[in-house]
Amino acid sequence: MESIADRLMLLLILSDLALLGTRQLRRVILIAGLQGILVGALALASHPGSLTARALWLAALGLGMRGLLFPWLLRMVARRTDADSLDQRLQPYVGYGTSLLLGIAMLAGAMALGARLPLPASTPSGLVVPGALFTMFTGLFLVIARRKALRQCLGYVILENGIYGFGVAAVGEVPALVELGALLDLFLAVLVMGVAIYRITEEFDHMDTEKLDLLRG
Amino acid sequence: MDSSLLIWAALLTPLAGALLVLLARSPRTALRLSSAAGLASCVLAAALGVAGFEPILPSAAGGWLRVDALSAAHLLLLALVGGTSSAFALVYFGDEIDRGRLTPRQARVFGSLWCGAFFALTLLLVSNNLGIMWVGMEATTLLTAFLIALHVSRESLEAMWKYVLICSVGVAFAFMGTLLTAAAAPAAGAPQALSWTGLLADASRLDPNLMRAAFVFLLVGYGTKVGLAPMHNWLPDAHSQAPSPVSALFSGFMLNSALYCILRYLPVADRATGGGGWPRELLLGFGLLSLAVGAVFILFQRDAKRLLAYCSVEHLGLVAIGVGLGGFGTVAALVHSLNHSLAKILAFWSVGRLGQAFGSHDVARMSGAFRASTVWGVGLLASLVALTGAAPFATFLSELSVLRAAFGRGIVFALVLASLALAFVGLLRHTIRLAWGPSEVEPRRLDDGRLDRALVAVTLLALLGLGFGWPQPLLHVAESAARVVNGEATLAAGGLR
Repeated sequence: MESIADRLMLLLILSDLALLGTRQLRRVILIAGLQGILVGALALASHPGSLTARALWLAALGLGMRGLLFPWLLRMVARRTDADSLDQRLQPYVGYGTSLLLGIAMLAGAMALGARLPLPASTPSGLVVPGALFTMFTGLFLVIARRKALRQCLGYVILENGIYGFGVAAVGEVPALVELGALLDLFLAVLVMGVAIYRITEEFDHMDTEKLDLLRG
Repeated sequence: MDSSLLIWAALLTPLAGALLVLLARSPRTALRLSSAAGLASCVLAAALGVAGFEPILPSAAGGWLRVDALSAAHLLLLALVGGTSSAFALVYFGDEIDRGRLTPRQARVFGSLWCGAFFALTLLLVSNNLGIMWVGMEATTLLTAFLIALHVSRESLEAMWKYVLICSVGVAFAFMGTLLTAAAAPAAGAPQALSWTGLLADASRLDPNLMRAAFVFLLVGYGTKVGLAPMHNWLPDAHSQAPSPVSALFSGFMLNSALYCILRYLPVADRATGGGGWPRELLLGFGLLSLAVGAVFILFQRDAKRLLAYCSVEHLGLVAIGVGLGGFGTVAALVHSLNHSLAKILAFWSVGRLGQAFGSHDVARMSGAFRASTVWGVGLLASLVALTGAAPFATFLSELSVLRAAFGRGIVFALVLASLALAFVGLLRHTIRLAWGPSEVEPRRLDDGRLDRALVAVTLLALLGLGFGWPQPLLHVAESAARVVNGEATLAAGGLR
């Protein structure tokens, strides 16, 4: 391991594996928050020679939102919907052990894909594409393989972490307006999903998406 | 008005309307304000659309905002769908207010989000920066989510959840595609890296492998929002549960706006990958699958609004096929997207109003539509026949034109013809039942006002008029927009006039 970016990407990959095998909702939220801090730090570590004040405050904003605000928001939704106790009763579509095994296969796939994708020479780490793709796959897998709406929302946040990690490391600077717009959209998406989960729990008395099957055909 | 001022006015008017509606105390005031703001926004969008065909293209904010023929054509479509649906909202929600089914809070939520959606749609159309275009697309998802569950029920919440989750994940894929496009640019990391004009000028210098990967992400991502199969699962649920003016906006324009995002990337991806038509072939494949899936699912629908939603999957598939064929196919596809929108808004308005009379959107319960209202019965019958692609309606001519473009490609032609025939049979069967079939319930007789009659008559006349030929201004708009999509490719000579 040579650069900080390499180490951060490695930690990101480890956090994905942890997310796939973790049963407790509280821990999943915590790990998703830590991932937010990791990709925020990646933004700072990726291009250390060209750090501007603008890049600094944008990275800080992203880090604060992904690392602190989202975990707080999702914890609040979990508390209000009594998600912790519900979590004990709801088994996911794919078990945690199997998820972990599938995760290793996804990692191998991400490595193979990453090797085929030529990136600009300025990319700080060879692990950027595999790490970002694996995080995206993990997020998508959680959206599909988990039954509870809150866990699916967390899957979306993790998917976004992967995309953000790829963006900051492989693309470098995108216009501040675009980055702010994307952050605002992400914030609104998590907020809308949080409110939706709250309303679904109120109406259905559960947030088991398997039982959201009134609309068919 | 100065063209840059016009862009700002088109953007800020719906935003101001969204805020103004929040101040309304009574539901009727909120409804009138939202419709007025919606209409004003659409007048400005139309003016901007017309300006987009002038020799000097409107632009603002140092080139970040720009209107060309492709965005102008879509601005005109937004003006048509949004303006008429804003007027229809007065009829539809007016009835709900009369029957005490719309609270002041619900009216404010509707008005504010309705205008907010117009802002987001206008933003994505006038943006020259592909990142801002993405922001606009995602904003439409988030702003319209609560419109689906305006009347809270188990079904509407389920539809809202599926819509938010599937579309957000889809649009996140589109963001990955946007970032890969930026990474493919020789000036990656530079402020102009996501400028569409900059990317098009530099397209031959983009990394072809990264651009291929980018286009796959973009097609899957934005394709989810278009409702292309197999990413279409959210669409029947959201369209069936949303109030009818919202369903009309969804089906009549929001799907087209997502397709617009794909069309923006087509010439860039095509040039970057050597000009061999690889991105078009991919779009063509998704189009064929969507057309077939839509046609099959139309056969088995029991809910009239779900039926219309699958009809959207079918027709948007056909539009994707036309664009995928390129050349004259793109012109035919763009005209067909206008014709589909006209037929679809009339169909959703009619089903919405008749649903209010029958108390259900179930085909079996809604049968014998004329007993509830002659005006909306005619609207339903005509729009459904138009959606089958039958003459003398406009959709017949545009479907025929897409078929003509596919004529040289044996398998594509055969698949399109077979799917269209299947959809025709399926939809016609439902149409006959809805218009004249025996009903399980006795409907409330609707009181058709002048606005009801005007909305049906104008849309119907447009559908009939465009069935006899494409007037020169429409052909000019479609050809100019197609030139942008085809990357200035020479169009096939002639065209249906």
